[in-house]
Amino acid sequence: MSAAASEIARDERTAPVEEQYDDAVQQREAATHGMWVFLSTEILFFGVLFASYTVCRVLYSRGFAEASRHTDMLLGTIETAVLLTSSSLIALGVRALKLDQRRSATWLLVGTGLLGVSFLVMHGFEYYKEYTEHLVPGIDFAQPGPHAQAIELFFCLYYFITGFHSLHVLVGVTLILVLAARIHGGAFGPRRYTTLELTALYWHLVDIVWIFVYPLIYLVGRSG
Amino acid sequence: MSPPRAATHITPVSHYLWILAALLTLLALSAGSALLKLGSFNTVINLGISVLKTLLVMAVFMHETEARNLTRLTSLLGFVWLAMLIGLALFDFMTRTAVPAPWQ
Amino acid sequence: MNAVDAASAPPNFLQRDYGLRAWLTTHDHKRIAILYALGITFFFFLGGVAATLIRLNLATPDGALLGAEAYNKTFTFHGVVMVWFFLIPSIPATLGNFLLPLMIGARDVAFPRLNLASWYLYMLGGLFTIAALLAGGVDTGWTFYTPFSTMFSNSNVFLVVIGVFITGFSSIFTGLNFIVTVHSLRTSGMTWFRLPLFVWGIYATSLVLVLATPVLAMTLALIGLERGLGVGVFDPALGGDPLLFQHLFWFYSHPAVYIMILPAMGLISEIVSCFTRRRVFGYKFMTYSMLAIAVIGFLVWGHHMFVSGMSMYAGMVFSMLSFIVAVPSAIKVFNWTATLRKGDISFEAPMLYALGFVGLFMLGGLTGLILAAPALDVPLTDTYFVVAHFHYVMVGGSVMAYLGGIHYWWPKITGKLYPEGWARFAAILMFCGFNLTFFPQYILGYEGMPRRYYSYLPQFQVLNVLSSAGASILAIGYVLPALYLLWSLRYGAAAGNNPWNARGLEWQTTSPPPKENFLHRPVVREAYSYDQPLAGERAS
Repeated sequence: MSAAASEIARDERTAPVEEQYDDAVQQREAATHGMWVFLSTEILFFGVLFASYTVCRVLYSRGFAEASRHTDMLLGTIETAVLLTSSSLIALGVRALKLDQRRSATWLLVGTGLLGVSFLVMHGFEYYKEYTEHLVPGIDFAQPGPHAQAIELFFCLYYFITGFHSLHVLVGVTLILVLAARIHGGAFGPRRYTTLELTALYWHLVDIVWIFVYPLIYLVGRSG
Repeated sequence: MSPPRAATHITPVSHYLWILAALLTLLALSAGSALLKLGSFNTVINLGISVLKTLLVMAVFMHETEARNLTRLTSLLGFVWLAMLIGLALFDFMTRTAVPAPWQ
Repeated sequence: MNAVDAASAPPNFLQRDYGLRAWLTTHDHKRIAILYALGITFFFFLGGVAATLIRLNLATPDGALLGAEAYNKTFTFHGVVMVWFFLIPSIPATLGNFLLPLMIGARDVAFPRLNLASWYLYMLGGLFTIAALLAGGVDTGWTFYTPFSTMFSNSNVFLVVIGVFITGFSSIFTGLNFIVTVHSLRTSGMTWFRLPLFVWGIYATSLVLVLATPVLAMTLALIGLERGLGVGVFDPALGGDPLLFQHLFWFYSHPAVYIMILPAMGLISEIVSCFTRRRVFGYKFMTYSMLAIAVIGFLVWGHHMFVSGMSMYAGMVFSMLSFIVAVPSAIKVFNWTATLRKGDISFEAPMLYALGFVGLFMLGGLTGLILAAPALDVPLTDTYFVVAHFHYVMVGGSVMAYLGGIHYWWPKITGKLYPEGWARFAAILMFCGFNLTFFPQYILGYEGMPRRYYSYLPQFQVLNVLSSAGASILAIGYVLPALYLLWSLRYGAAAGNNPWNARGLEWQTTSPPPKENFLHRPVVREAYSYDQPLAGERAS
């Protein structure tokens, strides 16, 4: 084995090519394609909730408008800004890893993870606030007015959608922080970054879901 | 075994920051316009802004502009299929006519 | 192959790494296929026991054997197990897993560890479903209609819903794996239009698996949440709509039936091709029709809801789309028939299954068209006509195709030949038993006997007894292959690489194949080259 080849073989930051693939490029392209297929399944998974929301909103447009006014628009807007920023951080992190800037990559990922955690904390605070206002169907729900039923439907969907979304955020944060630690430890580099790239794609999808959740939950009927 | 091809394209940092600025601006527009009384246009504008934000995230952060046609097609499929679900289901809900019972 | 060659041949995939641990941690798609085969055979017999109880109960009009509650639980179990734990994984996860990489000249699927994970998810989901059974069963029907499933049923809905949810991810990951495999791992010269039709069938199926199953997953989660919290979007008393559930459920469950038939269609093309010694007539039309079925199949789900209270206009649209989706299926039936014309036909067991498939699928499909017309569906819905229709396509279609495929590729998978005489006998017995079981049900449905009832009016007894008698013959037809296929593992004659003189890359490697599938990377120049003799082909 030549000196260069043995150096590459010893370099733990090169992903091994599995036996069903001809080369690393084919392997990376297949992995990327696979992740996009998975993201399509996530779109349809959340899509059921968006479809249910759409149907109910068409049936109860006034009620949904009133219900939306009970959500915390400021918190929701900050949460959206936080997720958008976290997306840019992880995109920069992938770029840094490709350029072998391991320290930057690690810190960018930690930043992404922390923003994700702050999203969850803010959201938890939202849930708590809604609980004190008797807006939790099935546990503590009491709303006056002719639209009480529609408000209950809205909040059912709100908890379902944001609940599943928060679960996905939690999974994403965990993956990102674990990756940050492994990058810091030298497991990845300019010749081995597919895992991070794919995790970033997942994180961007989580962001995209929220991009649609935000106006549908927080911005209905805000003009009164 | 020869080393794998190096990444062909590294986006400059400024690109990402401009896109973030655009996304945050769109967010502000979305929130701001929601406070204006525009009737059903509120929803149209807000969802339109969401679509724009999604396109920006997909194009730049998710590198769709550099991707193969295959991944681009794959990324569209989920949305198209969701549109089919929502479209046809909504068609049912919106075209129902109340059929009163004989005693009503 | 003489004794010297046999001794120096590399070990095949069955011989490398013995032991339970090696099998349970395998990454080899061929071993995973066999793991799946064991699982689905087990669930098929469980579902078959439920079917036996149903037919025994329906032999008498009073339904005294089971009574109302137990009957509801029995047909629910039969449906859940047969749909999710047998039919949906059957061809894709067993034959698909085994053959897909071989047929495209690859060494494995794109994501072997994900493949193994899929199997574990499948078994875990099955465990939950069996737990539901042992805890007392579920009585909602496999369709889990709300508000009964969310509010009024006293049975173990949670357990079974969790089980199916988990197994759904098995389906999704299998579909994902296959899509990427077909795109990325085709060998040199294997262009898209040289792919075997079985691969096209699996590919189309995988698209459906990936786009439909997530919808089921979330819908089941919503049932669980609504049942657990007492609030949700399906309860009319709270402003919700039970029809929303039906839309979401059928958006998955109609494409699900195409998951069951598309692999069968691809498989049948392989068998018909081999036993007429011809390339299938209209190869490109066959591929386009499978893709068309996969896509249009997503737009027809409302035909399950004609009498549900859905809008009449939506009913018309869904009806027209359902008529349209029949066209590609019909094209395929024409093409199989055209392949037979002037072909050099021989009637080995796989071919008997294939011919049975074409006829029975056609009958089932035509009755589907009848049901697709809302005016006809109104009196026929929820009667035995529907039951007969879907059993014709699912059992007369998919199950026969699956068995035909098992027989056809048995020599490749095991290296042994099954006893041809017994196999033909079983196939014919199965065909007769099947028709005796299910044809009377068309008449019963037409005469108004409702489905999912444990008892019925006395005037329906004769046809019910005929149906139950047919079921006993069908049962024998299913047990026989289990026996002689097992027998052949020990006592069967050794199969060569290509006992059928078929074309296709899987026949160019040993029987059973080595772990890495091919000793030399195959290069493809032409598909289905039945007009040219194989290198070294001898008259059989």
